[in-house]
Amino acid sequence: MEPTQLVVDLSRWQFAITVLYHFLFVPLTIGLAVLIAAIETVYVVTGREIFRDMAKFWGKLFLINFALGVATGLTMEFQFGTNWSFYSYFVGDVFGAPLAIEGLMAFFLESTFVGLMFFGWDRLSRGKHLFVTYMVALGSNLSALWILIANGFMQAPSGARLDPFTMRLQLSSFANLIFNPDAQTKFVHTTAASYVLAAVFVCAVSAWYLLRKRHVELARRSFRMAAIFGLFASLAVITLGDASGFKDVGVQPPKIAAMEAMWHTEKAPAGLNLIAFPSSREQKNLWSLSVPWIGGMMLTHAFDKPIPGVFELEAQARRRIYNGIPALLALERLQKTPGDNRALTTFRQHEKDIGYAFLLQRYAPNVAKATPAQVERAARKTIPSVPVVFWAFHLMVYFGFTMLAFFVLATMFSLMRSEYRRRWFLRLSLWLLVLPYLTVELGWITAEMGRQPWTVYGILPTWLSASTHSVAYMIFSLAGFIGLYTVFIVIEIYLMRRAIIEGPATAPGKDDNTQALPTFVLKGGSA
Amino acid sequence: MTTSELLRYAGWFALALLALAGAAILSYWAPWYFAWVVGTVMIILITAFAGALYERQAREQGAHGEDPLK
Amino acid sequence: MEAYAVLKVIWWLLLGVLFMGIGIMIGQDMGVGTSLRYLGRTDRERRAVLNMIGPHWDGNQVWFILGGGAIFAAFPTVYATLFSGLYIVMLLLLWSMIIRPLGFEYRSKLDSPRWRERWDWALFLSGFIPMLVFGTAIGNALRGFPFRFNEIMQSFYPHGFGFYTLFNPFSVLIGGGMAVALSLYQAGAMVSLRSEGLILARAKRMMRAAAVLAMVIFTIGGIWLSQLNGYAPSGTIDPAMPANPLASSAIMAKGAWLHNFFTHPALFIVPILVYIALLAGSWFTRRNRPQWAWWSGAIAWMATIGTLGAAMFPILAPSYVNIDQSLTVWNASSSPRTLAWMLGFALVFIPLILFYTGWAFRVMRGKIRPEDIAQRDKKGEESY
Repeated sequence: MEPTQLVVDLSRWQFAITVLYHFLFVPLTIGLAVLIAAIETVYVVTGREIFRDMAKFWGKLFLINFALGVATGLTMEFQFGTNWSFYSYFVGDVFGAPLAIEGLMAFFLESTFVGLMFFGWDRLSRGKHLFVTYMVALGSNLSALWILIANGFMQAPSGARLDPFTMRLQLSSFANLIFNPDAQTKFVHTTAASYVLAAVFVCAVSAWYLLRKRHVELARRSFRMAAIFGLFASLAVITLGDASGFKDVGVQPPKIAAMEAMWHTEKAPAGLNLIAFPSSREQKNLWSLSVPWIGGMMLTHAFDKPIPGVFELEAQARRRIYNGIPALLALERLQKTPGDNRALTTFRQHEKDIGYAFLLQRYAPNVAKATPAQVERAARKTIPSVPVVFWAFHLMVYFGFTMLAFFVLATMFSLMRSEYRRRWFLRLSLWLLVLPYLTVELGWITAEMGRQPWTVYGILPTWLSASTHSVAYMIFSLAGFIGLYTVFIVIEIYLMRRAIIEGPATAPGKDDNTQALPTFVLKGGSA
Repeated sequence: MTTSELLRYAGWFALALLALAGAAILSYWAPWYFAWVVGTVMIILITAFAGALYERQAREQGAHGEDPLK
Repeated sequence: MEAYAVLKVIWWLLLGVLFMGIGIMIGQDMGVGTSLRYLGRTDRERRAVLNMIGPHWDGNQVWFILGGGAIFAAFPTVYATLFSGLYIVMLLLLWSMIIRPLGFEYRSKLDSPRWRERWDWALFLSGFIPMLVFGTAIGNALRGFPFRFNEIMQSFYPHGFGFYTLFNPFSVLIGGGMAVALSLYQAGAMVSLRSEGLILARAKRMMRAAAVLAMVIFTIGGIWLSQLNGYAPSGTIDPAMPANPLASSAIMAKGAWLHNFFTHPALFIVPILVYIALLAGSWFTRRNRPQWAWWSGAIAWMATIGTLGAAMFPILAPSYVNIDQSLTVWNASSSPRTLAWMLGFALVFIPLILFYTGWAFRVMRGKIRPEDIAQRDKKGEESY
C-alpha cells in the first residue's frame, strides 16, 4: 500500500532535478532585477542616457532568463500535489498558505510589472518607469520570501501542531510561521546569494566586451556597478550563512554534524574539518585535515558549547523513537474512536516524537512489535548522507569566499580605473561565471540533503510523503522532464549567447560619446 | 503655507511615523527581515553611487586628455 | 452558521473567483495562442497579434499559479488527492504550459521562418492543450474520481486512473470543448480591442463562431449532465465539522447534479446568463463595441463557472470508489485559522492586483498594426 522505495527515490530525483533546474534561473531574476533598478536609478538621477541603454540591455538578458524561470516555476507550484500527495495533505494547512500568499503578494506584482518594464519605456515617464522597475525587483524578492518561509517550515517547523482528528499539521500561530528564524536567515542568505550571482553574471559579460573592446563605455560602467554590488552582497551572504549555521546547531544538529563530518562529540570548542573523506558505511572520516577549536567557535559563537557528533545524535534518535511509539499507537486508537480521552492524553504526552515513530514504520510496519535491530536501523537513518552534505557545504563555502576575493579585486581595479588593462583579470571574470551557479545549487543540496530523512524535520519522514504512483508513471514523467528541460536549456543558452554577441542597441564600434543622439538615429545611420 | 501644503506635510509626516513604527516592530520580531530591508536599500544606494562616481572619474580623466582605449 | 462554516463557504466562493480569473485572463491568452495561425497569416500580422497581449500574458498567467496555491492553502485535501490522481493530465498541462512563456519570449528572437513556424505551432499547442485539459479536469469533477483514503489519510487510486479514464467523452467534449470555445471567444474580443483591418475582421468572425459553439456545447452538456450520476452529502451534515473526509457520508444518484437547481429554482438564472451573455456578445461584436463584447465574454465565463458551482455545491471532488469519502467544502478545507489569515491577505491583495492590472492595461492600451512592429524593430525596441 505504501509507496515503494523505488517510487520514493524516483520522486525525490524528479523533485531535485526540477528544483535545481528552476534554481538556475531564479537567482539571476532576483539579483538582476535589483541591479537593473540601481542602474536605472542612476539614469533617473543623472539623466545620462548611457545608463538607460544599460538598463535596457541588461533587461533584454533578464527577459530571456525570466521566461525559463517562470516556465519551470509552474512545475514547482503543482509538484507537491502531483508527487508528494501525503505531504500535501499532512502540511497543506500550514505550507499552502505561504505558497498562495506568494502568488497574491509577489508573483502578480512581478509578472504584471515586468510587461510594463519592457514595453513601457515610451509610454511612461522616467519616474513612473523607475517605479515599475522597482516593483519588479520587489516582487521577485518577495517571491523568495514566501517560498523560503515555506521551506523554513520544512527545516524548522514552528507555528503548527499535529491535530489527531484531521491527522495533519494545523496552523497554531501565523506569526511563528512567518517570523521563523530559520526562514529569516534563509531568505536573506538566498536573496544575497542571488545578488552575488547576478553581479558575477554582469561582470562576466562586461569583461567579455572589454576583452573585445566592444561597448566599452557601457561595459565599464556595468562592471563597476556590479563589482560593488557583488562585494557587499558577498559579505551579506557570508554573514547570513554564519547566522544560518548558528541557528541550525540548535534546530537541526544532524545536518550540522553531517556538514562538518563530526562523528564524535568533541570537547568544546570543537575542531573544524577543512577537508575530509567521510565514509557513511564505516561511520568515520577516512582522512581529514582539521584545525582545532575553530569549528565550535564559529558554529556556537562560544568557547564552551559542544557540537553533538553523529553517534550522540543517533543515541538521541533512539530515545525519541521509543518515546514516539506510544504517540503513534494512541493516534491509531483515536482514528478508530475519536472520543477516547485516554488515548488523547497519551498522544499529547508523546506527540513531539511521533515523527520518529513514522520513521520507524518504514522498517517495522507494526511499531508496537519493533525489534531493537529495527529501531537501530531507523536511528541510523536519522543522519543524512555525511559525504554528500559535507562536500556540498564545504565547496559552497570555498566558492563563496573565492567570489568575495574576486569582488574585492574587481572593485579595487574598477575604482583605480585599470580593470580594462588587466586582461588576465577580465579572462578570469569570464571563467568565474560557472562558480555562482554551482554555489547556489550546492547551497540547495546542503539544505535539502541535510534535512533527510525528513520532508518536515522531525515530524514527517520522506518515505511517507510521496504519492503512490507506479514506477512506470514515474519513469515516464522523469524522462519527460529531463527531455523537455534539456531542449529548453540548449535554446536558452543559444539565445542568451546570441543576445550578448549582438550587444546593446547602440551601434557597434561607435561608442557612447555620441550618446547625446538618440540610439535609433545611430542604428538608422549604420543600417 | 497653504492648507494643501500643510496637508501634504502632514501626510509625509504620518508616512514617516508609520515607517518608524514598522521598523520598530519589524526589528523586534524579525531582525533579519529588517536587516534585509536596510541592507538591500543600502546596497542599491552604494551601487548607484558607484555608477555616479564613474561618471565623475571619467570626466576628470577626460579633462586630462586620457583615452582609456589608446 | 458557525464562523468556520462561513469561512469555508467564502473560500469556496473565492476559489470560484480564481477559476474565473483563470478562464477569463489566461483563457484569453491561450485562445490567442490557439488561433494565432488563423488571426495572423503573415509573420508581421502574427507578431502584431502577439504584441497585443505581449505585456500582459505573464501577469495573466499568475491566475493559474494562484489557483494552484489557493487550492493548496484553502482545500489542501483536494490539492493532495486530485493532483496526484490526475498525474497524467497534470503532466500534460504542465508540459504544454511550460512551453508557452518560451513561445512568447523566444519566437521572434531569431529572424528565421522555420524557427518562427515551429514556435507558432508550440504556441498553438500550449494554448489549445491547457484549455482542453483545464476543461477536461472540470468535466471529470462532474464524473467523479476513483480515489479512497486509508486510516492515516493517504489517498489511493486502487483501480488506477489512466489516460482513457480521464479523457472520457463527456469530460473532453463538454468540459474541454466549453473551455476552448470560451477561450477563443475571449481571445477574439481581446484582439478586436487592439486591432484593425484584416485581423479585426478575422477576430470578429472567430468570436461569432465561438459564441455559437459555446452555446451548443453548453446545451448538450446540460442534457448530458441530467443523465449522469450526481453526488450529494447525506446523513447529518455539520458544515463546521473538522476537515476529515473519513467522518462524512454521501450518496450517488442519477441526475443529482440538478438537485440544487430544483430546490432553489432562482439558480436557473445562472445558466440562462450564459446564453444571454453570449448572445449579447455577438450583438456587440456586430455593432463594433469590442469593449462590451469583452465584458460579455467575461460574464459568460463567470456564469459557466457559476453554473458548475451551483450544480456541485457543496461537493468539490466526488469519489465513485468510496462515495462517503467524496470531498466537500465541509470536509476538505483548511483549519479556521488558516482560512481566516488567508482571507485577510486575499481581501487586501486581490483588489490591489485588480487595480494595478487595470493600470497596466490602461498604460499599454491602443491599437497595434503590423506596420508598428516594423517600426519598433527599426528603433531597436523590445517586441515579441
